Amino acid sequence: MINSGVPRKFSLSVGAVYFALFTLFMYLPIALLVIFSFNDSPTLTFPLSGFTLKWYQELWKNQELVTAVTNSLLVGILSSLVATALGTMAALGVIRFEFPGKTLFLSVAAMPLVIPAVVMGVAMLIVFARVGVPLTLWTVGIGHVIINAPYAMLIVAARLAGFEEHVEEAAMDLGADYWATLWRVTLPMSAPALAAAFLSSFTTSLDEFAVTFFLVGSDTTLPVYLYSQLRFPSRLPLVVTLAAIMMVLSVFIVIVVEKLRRMAS
Amino acid sequence: MNRLIWWKLALVMSAILLLAGCGNSDGDAADSDETAVTPDNSTLNVFEWSGYELPEFWAQFADQHPDTTVDFSFFGEDAEAFAKLQTGYQTDLVHPCSSWWQLYVDNGLVQPLDESRLENLQDIPESLLAYGRINGQLYFVPWEWGYESILVRTDKVDTIPTSWADLWNPEYAGHVAIYDSGETQHIVGSLVLGFDPYATTPEQNEAIVQKLTELKPNLLTYWTDYTEIVQLVASGDVWIAGNAWPDTLVLLQEEGVPVEYITPSEGRMGYVCGFGIPASAQHVDLAYDYLNAATSVDATTFLINEYGYGAANDKAIAGADPDTVELLQLNDSAILQSTVFYESVTPEQREVFVSNWDRVKAAP
Amino acid sequence: MATLTAQSVPETKATPAEKRRLLLLMGPPVLALLLFFLLPLGVMALYTFQTGTLGGEMSWSLETYGRFWENTALHRLLWRSTVVSFQTSLLCILLSYPIAYYLVFRAGDRRMTLLTLIIIPAWTSYLLRILAWKLILGTEGLLNTFLLWAGWVDEPSPILLFSKTAVIVTLVYVWVPFVALPIFAALERMDKRLLEAAADLGSPPWYSFLRVTLPLSMPGVLAGFLSVFIPTLGEYVTPLLVGGVNGIMYGNLIQDQFVRALNWPLGSLMSLVMLVALLPLFLLFRKSDQVLQ
Repeated sequence: MINSGVPRKFSLSVGAVYFALFTLFMYLPIALLVIFSFNDSPTLTFPLSGFTLKWYQELWKNQELVTAVTNSLLVGILSSLVATALGTMAALGVIRFEFPGKTLFLSVAAMPLVIPAVVMGVAMLIVFARVGVPLTLWTVGIGHVIINAPYAMLIVAARLAGFEEHVEEAAMDLGADYWATLWRVTLPMSAPALAAAFLSSFTTSLDEFAVTFFLVGSDTTLPVYLYSQLRFPSRLPLVVTLAAIMMVLSVFIVIVVEKLRRMAS
Repeated sequence: MNRLIWWKLALVMSAILLLAGCGNSDGDAADSDETAVTPDNSTLNVFEWSGYELPEFWAQFADQHPDTTVDFSFFGEDAEAFAKLQTGYQTDLVHPCSSWWQLYVDNGLVQPLDESRLENLQDIPESLLAYGRINGQLYFVPWEWGYESILVRTDKVDTIPTSWADLWNPEYAGHVAIYDSGETQHIVGSLVLGFDPYATTPEQNEAIVQKLTELKPNLLTYWTDYTEIVQLVASGDVWIAGNAWPDTLVLLQEEGVPVEYITPSEGRMGYVCGFGIPASAQHVDLAYDYLNAATSVDATTFLINEYGYGAANDKAIAGADPDTVELLQLNDSAILQSTVFYESVTPEQREVFVSNWDRVKAAP
Repeated sequence: MATLTAQSVPETKATPAEKRRLLLLMGPPVLALLLFFLLPLGVMALYTFQTGTLGGEMSWSLETYGRFWENTALHRLLWRSTVVSFQTSLLCILLSYPIAYYLVFRAGDRRMTLLTLIIIPAWTSYLLRILAWKLILGTEGLLNTFLLWAGWVDEPSPILLFSKTAVIVTLVYVWVPFVALPIFAALERMDKRLLEAAADLGSPPWYSFLRVTLPLSMPGVLAGFLSVFIPTLGEYVTPLLVGGVNGIMYGNLIQDQFVRALNWPLGSLMSLVMLVALLPLFLLFRKSDQVLQ
């Protein structure tokens, strides 16, 4: 047994140490941001100048910033759901079916990855303006879907490729129709890939600026507000504080979900 | 196992959705407010730099129009704002800086202003208003202005620079940062070489490229936003910062960082920005009221005290914190006289500035 | 991308039912691409046949093509960007493969949670994370303070910052989680019994890894490679913030054309050239895929 199955417990293996170091590497800058959110100075430099909660107090007064976060989350979640759905459909079609123009489709579908975001933003703005579509969070969402769907397709397809089709065939032989098989066999088996695709899309969407800037109307998203805010160095700690809150909250939610899951199982 | 993953996934998703849902209810409430009021005069859209949306800047407008929502949309770069308007984005007020004003007018993006409707016009010095007068008409109301000069870490250098040309002093090698902008660097190069920045010949442009390329060994980096340069100076990586704004001086001195803001022998550079009403504006009357609120003494005094920028309204200095005014040298007319303000450039000029600057950056 | 085309599908005539399924599956993605991507892209392509800047004189001509052809600095930067992207993608895969492997084979049912945990830092604005790294690596940053204290350096100086290396390191930090995702998804689908079978047949672990695990996870590795290499090619923020004077990349010049010079024709052309430059890559992947099959 090379892997001794799937161990139930963490063992202090090379893998675990590497994973821990990697996680540390990812969180080190985040930890600094959290520390500086309590620092009594508008510049982020060492040594620290003193403890304060004023950034947190000021943050709650800044309605515009809070709205921007809400908008970003909303666009992030919805656009990622759509991107994952579209990407999965395309991946299924491409991996499971043979059709004329498939190579062409794949080449075109990969292009949004290659075109610099600013070009896509400008191009989409021109089209929306010509057709007379007003700029709202919906247009931002459409932009994010186009950026993220190719990633989603890549991730899901990487899983579907070489997938044991006999499982699907077996299900269909047992009388399940195609869509039922898709829903009950194929998709559940691809669940980690779907989750990965969603995570990837959400992550991109949350920090997307170049396309967003051109497609956004008066409903600001977080990156748009933030980039513009950089004109005012004295407001940097507010943004840092916001990031600190979002990080701590996200980690907290993930841990709670994990605890819930353990309790349930 | 698969079932488990599904379940887990659903849980994560619903947790996130729940989180978003909480926030969302706020957003919905705001939306329904907007739609509840009659469409006319219910909202005013202002295309702004973020940070200027603070209610103190339009308190008078809020008193006048308690039922009107002011909707802000934001930009971070003049070119982006222009591109967006040129492509058909509709808004009631826009806030670009002076070197772009001519372009807005030439492309018919803004409408001439009715000077009789601008209450605070008499308090804005004619020297600034002149930038807003284009083809004999007032199109833009100057609102804020400021210097761009050299910021020095006095504890790190032996010689304090006295001119733009001193950026080339090898003593500072590896510790100079200059602003990443073709337009700005064209002016710096022109000042150092003694050219008129807005009437350079192709040969002079080549000389500027040559001169700027020679600066590269002295540079640590190009800086792109004010937060970045403040951080770089505060952290001690950069000793000499080109084209810094005076408010960085205030900020850094408060932090106890030893810095000095010099007046180069060629003169400081300066910028003016202000409001224009787009030709496609839907709420022109509201836009005028907003303009009057923004240029009021209260709002502009707040501008000086909160952000440390010069206010176009002369009366603001009286009410502003005297220390801030002193430190920013806002009322020193000798400095102001020698300052080289950004002037309108044609798209063709700007194109040359940017592509020459790209050549400098790309030089091996 | 082309890796995905070569999958084995029986070469039989599609039944009407299959055609309907295909239409339902592919319809929405194709429609979305046509409307929201190809149409705008076509508009941009038209711009390349113009000369001039937005807001100024614009006229139809092929001059933009000539200007691009003559400007060798652009070609040099495109090559530099390609090299940087390639190195970044490779490093990302080397770093994230063990993570994905660990999560799938060793982390048990905690793996989704742990995966999410390493993604979360990427939800913080990129700018802020880079700012934080500068706090660590700067002249008066954490690392220098430590080195001074330990007596390992006498004169503090920025470490790693403001160089091409800094660009690569930062890009790796930013993109590593995105590579871990497809590799994770690909390893996850592996039939673990294959490994057990290999072990039963006396195959040593490293041999099973090379002959079984690695080949089976290749689609994920390729997907990961593409999802870093392609977008980093046009990257401009990282070079601006940590690249210093000589770290400028092709993407910076595209950005300058669009948001500074407003020279949309040249900016569009530069983007399209990048697109064309990537075509050989797609062919390469198709080749490597056939070898793997």
